[in-house]
Parts: sequence; structure tokens; C-alpha cells
Amino acid sequence: MSQEIRHHVGLAVRRQGVVGRRDFLRVTSAAGLAAGSFAWTDLVSLRADELRRRGMACILLWMQGGPSQFETFDPKPGHENGGETKAISTSVPGIELAENLPHLAGMMDKVAIVRSMTTREGNHQRASFLLHTAHVPTASIRYPTLGSVVAHELAVGGGELPAFVRIGRQFRNVGDGGLLGSVQDPFAVTDAARLPDNAQPTTEAARYQRRLSLLERLETADRRTDIEQEIVEHRGLYKKAARMIRSPRMETFDIGREPENIRGAYGEGDFGAGCLLARRLVEAGVTFVEVALGGWDTHDDNFNRTRGLTARLDQPYAYLLEDLAQRGMLDKTLVIWMGEFGRTPRINPRTGRDHYPRAFSVALAGGGVQGGRTIGRTNEAGTEVADRPVTTEDLFCSFYHSLGIDPSKENMSPIGRPIKIVDGGQAVSELFG
Amino acid sequence: MRQVSIAAMAVAGLSILLLVEGRAQEPAGPETDSLQAAAIAAGERIDGLLAEEVFSSPTQGTSEPAPLTSDQVFLRRLTLDLAGRLPTPGEVTAFALDPSADKRWRAAERLLADEAFGRNWARYWRDVIFYRRSNEQALLAARTVEDYLSDEFNSGAGWDEIARSFVEATGDVREQGSTGLIMAQMAETAEVASETSRIFLGVQIQCAQCHDHPTDRWKRQQFHELAAFFPRVALRPVRDGMMRTFEVASRDRGGPGRRPGNRRGALEHHMPDLADPSARGTLMTPTFFLTGAQLETGTSDLDRRTTLADWMTAESNPWFARAFVNRIWAELVGEGFYEPIDDLGPDRSCSAPATMEFLSSEFIASGYNVKWLFAAITASEAYQRESRPRRNPDETPFLANRTQPLRSDQVFDVLTTALGVNPEGQRRGRMAGGYGRGGPRGQFAATFGYDPSDPRDEVAASIPQALLLMNSRMIAGAINAGNPRGMLGRVLQTTSDNEQVVLELYLRCLAREPSNEELAACLVHVRTAPDRGEAFEDILWALLNRTEFVLRH
Repeated sequence: MSQEIRHHVGLAVRRQGVVGRRDFLRVTSAAGLAAGSFAWTDLVSLRADELRRRGMACILLWMQGGPSQFETFDPKPGHENGGETKAISTSVPGIELAENLPHLAGMMDKVAIVRSMTTREGNHQRASFLLHTAHVPTASIRYPTLGSVVAHELAVGGGELPAFVRIGRQFRNVGDGGLLGSVQDPFAVTDAARLPDNAQPTTEAARYQRRLSLLERLETADRRTDIEQEIVEHRGLYKKAARMIRSPRMETFDIGREPENIRGAYGEGDFGAGCLLARRLVEAGVTFVEVALGGWDTHDDNFNRTRGLTARLDQPYAYLLEDLAQRGMLDKTLVIWMGEFGRTPRINPRTGRDHYPRAFSVALAGGGVQGGRTIGRTNEAGTEVADRPVTTEDLFCSFYHSLGIDPSKENMSPIGRPIKIVDGGQAVSELFG
Repeated sequence: MRQVSIAAMAVAGLSILLLVEGRAQEPAGPETDSLQAAAIAAGERIDGLLAEEVFSSPTQGTSEPAPLTSDQVFLRRLTLDLAGRLPTPGEVTAFALDPSADKRWRAAERLLADEAFGRNWARYWRDVIFYRRSNEQALLAARTVEDYLSDEFNSGAGWDEIARSFVEATGDVREQGSTGLIMAQMAETAEVASETSRIFLGVQIQCAQCHDHPTDRWKRQQFHELAAFFPRVALRPVRDGMMRTFEVASRDRGGPGRRPGNRRGALEHHMPDLADPSARGTLMTPTFFLTGAQLETGTSDLDRRTTLADWMTAESNPWFARAFVNRIWAELVGEGFYEPIDDLGPDRSCSAPATMEFLSSEFIASGYNVKWLFAAITASEAYQRESRPRRNPDETPFLANRTQPLRSDQVFDVLTTALGVNPEGQRRGRMAGGYGRGGPRGQFAATFGYDPSDPRDEVAASIPQALLLMNSRMIAGAINAGNPRGMLGRVLQTTSDNEQVVLELYLRCLAREPSNEELAACLVHVRTAPDRGEAFEDILWALLNRTEFVLRH
């Protein structure tokens, strides 16, 4: 790449928002091509870079309430803390999962388990925020949530679909665009089986078009020096919104268009529908999709309740990985499974497990993560991390490493204070090597 | 229903005006008269000072102030700013016809006496407090805070009294609105200290929480000395029948904290040791960073908080008045003397220091009279100028008013009033009109809400907002002309003149008359549409989706 282009690209990236990266590319590639000022290979490398970045995506399966590691990824059948949960072997020799995850066991070669997560936040709200932002909540800085950061860094923009979609109702204290602004807020789909709220015109297409034309005529009927700029922005927003809802790509939100056998493979229930919708969205170019499965706060009747939850989790999760792999999308799609903390090794008198942030598990797949391995371990009683503790910062550095985002990048808070995406930490190299 | 255009009424004269107005003007008492007289004098002084210190030495671009607004823009702006609603069609007409020279400040006087004033600003401060909540459970107290502040503002409580009540608060968070700030931060020592400073003093001292601030003068130790006023504030869960609630209380006895940083249990605040986070840290003496005044460790919780409130609201502390003046000025004129509005320094620059000094010293002299400040600012030309786009930093400030996106409650009220619907009407009890997830107002806030402390150029309109106004079923149902009890159905039945219907819809939705071009476009639409009802549904739909509808300009 010529020195000048390199300089411009650097400038465009550094000054994002002032000189949009995409705009820059559009302008330079056309102008450059016309003037013959740089070589075809330069153009290709620019384009390839763009495509690669656009290709990266992330699906977060959010286990609201704090899932028990003992009943999922870190069973302890030989210890009293393990309770009645048995372990099963998986497609990877030497790695066992809880018996509750038979489908996922068959996909173990795609999944890397971190069994040594450790944090200090045992309160749902604070921990949910922490595991979405890599920061504890504070009144003074509104840290953006993972999906907003990823959309901000990776989404090319200008698409007809939103860059960040959140599916489900079970989200509490999980953050939003924060200091990146409301443009990076998630687009919410409360029920994967229905089209998103307000995304369909309430009148037939021809009349809708007449309404939009009337709106446009009234907006431009007079020259308004007082709100001229706002009108320009508002018209832009309405064009985008109208384009979105009339776009054939909105069909992406309709999982009813999926073949019967695929729908069946994702299983029954909301979470299965959410996982299927997540795959459809990522396939259509959405950058980040978050799907919630709630109800993991098993202070009582842990074993029965967890069995119910894993029954809703197992098949959709496993098939999501298989489906992505079959479509050749898994390498470029990081799939994260986590909740805000784990659960206590001790089983309480109500056969429940309480909050336990000191040692718990998360699971990663795709996006360059090498499956079929475990990272770190807990001691026999599951009370402590015995090897390779992984902090929230380490975990988030790993996400960003997978997605090609620099975690030390600084964004500005409204009072002009530079805020790093992740403050410290190091990517867990064993996930990728 | 009134079916007389403003032009027609101008001919008909004042008698109709009084009929339409409905609210006969009460003769103002001597007290309000003197408030208004003082406010008008203050408004003139503001304009004199700005001319002297800002407009006489323009930095870049024009130094020509924008002209004053038309009456219609002024009344809409003022009514939204003070009462959080649109002027009614009757108010718009009456104001247009009122020939008196003092009608602008008479309108301000009337709106400041309207109960809606307290409610509007209570919602504003509820958002200031709760957008920075550390926990969703804090919303339990949101409605209580709103009701409490609404009463305080309407009854003319001084800002010093109100601020004091938040710092000193104890009691059940569903009964004592003043507990809201502590509840929003779940009584976390450092967070309560940082929010108290940010909201009431306009000082972001919490930046020094972890390290000395790179640009400001505050030191890390000063932040933790401020936090030392709050370690004994406790938040206790209470079970009250089926309803779970919390109580803010003093905890003057107890053991040492279990966690570093003295988060729970300990009676004194310790500054964490950065090199060794598990260590206990350094014991902090409660010290007010602005004056250096100190209390001894061992002082009881209420003595600490009462003393801090004394020091914070003392007339000798200019920060307290400045923080409020800056915020209210910014909301009304569209840009603060300091931006962001909750960050006053000490090393930030003020874009009109003499004007700020005048307003804050007069605000102190008024006894922190909230309504006086509103009256003074709205009486100034600086407030009454036409809007212009947000300026670049090196252009001259205050040459025009700046637009603001309406806050969520304002959009909700403007929309439901324009359409004559009351989605909160069927709801009873605690959730009625509530702010929680369940209520229609709360759901609306999920789409239209924003943190009022955020710089306005960063509050962007969103796709979900556009989708809601374009496609929500609630709105589609409410604009249905076929419903004879709906607003549009009634207007169409009682008004055969299409021009009058257009006027009525403009007044209801935008609080102004259509321009000739707009009127022509609407009438063409009526002529070409398959039927009259459908045509006006389209026009109403278009008005709700216009730029102006969600803006205060």
C-alpha cells in the first residue's frame, strides 16, 4: 500500500466519526481508481480488510441469574459438593461435561471451556454489568456494553439491519451504548418468534408510501433557519427507518421462513428460537447478537431447576454451533456462553446453590477459538481456582482478540476523560494457540 | 369545539379571546409582582452583561444575535420548558391575540404557578438521579422522588432545602422521596459522595477516586475525605407485607468492614491502598474539599451529613449556586456556561463569567428561589431568541437559543394530549403513571429517555423512536378517523371546513398554525386521497412524525 494511502487510512481510523472509514474508502477507491494513483493490489488489500472486518461477528448466549458450573461445564461427581449431578464423556477424550448437556458433549471439539473464571461481584446487578462491560458500575462513567463496543468497532454501517440485536426479555443491568451514544444501543427483540415491535407499517404499502411522501412534502415546505439542521438529520433518520422496515432483509427476523427441519433442529422454546434468529441475523450481516436464557438463580431446588434450564439450553446451543460450522460461519463468529457468576459449591438446606463469583465457568467457541480444550481448573471441592485464574479483563481481552479489536483503545467520556475498552488484563492465549 | 381560525379571531377581538382562554387571568398578588419585577430587571441585566462580555468581542463567525422568536414559537418553547406540555389550542390563540407588551412574562408567571411546573422539573431531576443508578432495584424509589420534588418545586422550596434533604435523608425509600439519591447508588459510600458532588456542586471529584486527576486540581485523598461523610449510611431491606422495600438509616455501631475499601460494616471510610487492594487502606477524616473544613472521625452519621449539607449550601460556597444556575441556564438557553453541565471545574472555562456570577449571586440572594431563576432567565432576550444549530466551540456563544430533544415524559404527554388518549388511565395503584418497566410511561422511556446530564449533541434520535412514532399500534388506533369517540373522528364530525381541520391538527400537534405552503400541501392531499377520513389520518400521522414534534426549539 502506498505511503499516502496508509497515512489516510490511519487518519480515517483514528478520527472515526469525523472522517468515516467507509466514506474514506468509497471516496479514495473511486478517485484513486480513476486517477490510477495507486495499484490494484492496494485496492484489493483495502477491500479484503473491509470484508474481513465485516465478516467477524459475535453471539453472546447470556445465562441470566448465574448458572451453576457444577451442573454444566465443571461437574464434580466424586465430591459431595457435586451433588447428584453425574458427568458424561464428550467427543473429546478427557473432557467431561455434566450429564445435563448431552447434545453439547457431541460438539465438544468446537468448544473451549474456561473453568477458572474469578470475580468479586456476587450481586446480580453489579455482576451483570461487570460481565457485559468489564467494568464495575459507577455513576460517573457510562461504560458501553460488549455488543455496543463490538458494533462500534466492527460494523460497517449503512446496512439495512441494525448492527446489534438483543433477543429476549431477561436482561437486567446489562448496559447499553453508554458513552458511545444511543446510536450504539441494541435493537431489542423481546420475542424471537414474533417480528420486532413497530417494525411493520400499520397501513398497506401504497398508503404508507403516500404518508411518507406527505411527511417529506411538509418537512420541506418551508425554509426553516431555526431547525434546518435538525430537519436534515430527521429526514435522514426516517429514510433509514423506512428503508429498514420495507427492506426484504427484514425477513431475516422471521424465523418462520426457515425450513422445517432446521427449526426442528434448534428445538422447541424461546431460547431455541432466539438461537435460530441469532444465526439468521449474523448470516445477514448483523455484527453482534445477544440471546438471553433466564432463571438460573437457583437458590432452591437447584438440581431439578437446572435440569429444566439445561434442557432448554442444550440442543439449541449445540445446534447453533453445528449450523454455523456447516455454513462455514463459525470461524468468523465468536459464540460466548456465560452468566454473571457461578454458584456455591455447598448445597444449601433448600437443595439450592447461592451466588459464587470466586470460581466459575464460561465457554467459548468459534471466532478462532480452538475447541476441544479446557483452560484452568478448580480444586476438587470446586471452592477455589486451582490453576490459571482468568479475570473479567482477561476474558474480555480474549473476546476482543478473537474479533480483532484492540482492547486498549480509548474512547472519550463526555467530560473528556479517555476510557479504555478494557482496563488491563491479557487475552487468554491458550484459547487461540 | 373551537372552530375559529386565529386570523378570524383577530378580527373578532378580545371578547372571544377571554371566552377561548378559559383560564381568566387572576390579578397577580404583590408578591408575584415583585418576583416578576425582579425577574424582568434580571433579564435585562443578563442581556447587558452578555452584550458586554461576549458579543462585543466575537471570536469567530457572526456576532449578530438571532432575532427574537415569533409568539407561537415562544409560547411553545416556554410551555414545554416550564410545564413540560404543549400550550393548548386555546392558549396559542389567546396569546397570539393578546396585544399587551408584557404578555411574555405574564405567560411565564402563569406557567410557574401551574402544578405542571413542579411535575415537569421533578421528572427532570428524577432522571438526573436515576439515569446513574447502580442497580435496577433503585427504581423502586423513582416515583416517590418524583412526587416529593413535584411538591417541593410547586410549594416554592429553596434549592438549598431540597439539596439538604437529599444529603440528610433517612427512612423508607417508598415514602421519603429525599432518599432517592442514596437509593440510586444503593448507599455505596464512594458513589453517594461522587453523585452528591456532581449533582449539587457540579464537581466531578470522583475522577480522583483512583488516581490524582490529570487536569483538575483535586487530589485522590480529597475525594476519599468527601466519601468519609457517608460511611455510616446504611440501606436495609424491609419486608412490608408482600412488597419489598428499603430503608435508608444511620449505622453508628458495627464491626470493621469485611472488604477492602471499607464498603460494608465499618464506621469510618478508608482510602484503599492502590499497591495492595486487600489492605485496609488509610483512615480518612471527613473533610470538605472546597473549604478544607473538617469533622472528627467518630462523629455520628447524621452529624456528618447535616454538617456537610451546611457547608455545601452555605452562601459563601459559590459552587452550589453555580451548579444549579449552569444546569437550568443550559436547559433553557440550550447551552451551558460550562459544558458538560455537571462539570464546572475548577479548571474548566466559563463562556460568560460575569453573567454566571451575576445569576448565581442573585440566586443566592433570592434564598435559592427556584422560580425566580426560571423567571429571570425566561425574561431575557438570550432565552427568547430564535434557535440556531449547535455552534462550533470557537464560535460566539449565546447568539441564539439551541434546540433540545424533548425528554421522554414530554414526548409522552405531548403525544397523548394531542391524540386525546390516556393510556395510563386504566391503571391503578403504584404503577399508575409510574416509571417502572410495567407502565406505558416507563415503556416509552425505554425508547425516548436520555440522561439529562449528557451533552445534547450526543443525544441522537434513534431508529426505534422513528419506528414507534410511525408504526405503533397505540398510535394507529388513536388516529383512527373511523372511531367517532376518537379525537380525529370528533373533529371531522363537527368541522366540515377542511382548512379548519388542518388548523386544529396543527395546533394540537405542533401548537402553531400551518404555513401557507403546508396548508396547500395538506389540502392537495385531502383532494387526492380516496376519502376524507383517510386523508386526515395521513396528515395527523405526518404531523406526529415531524422533526418539530419531538423537539423543543
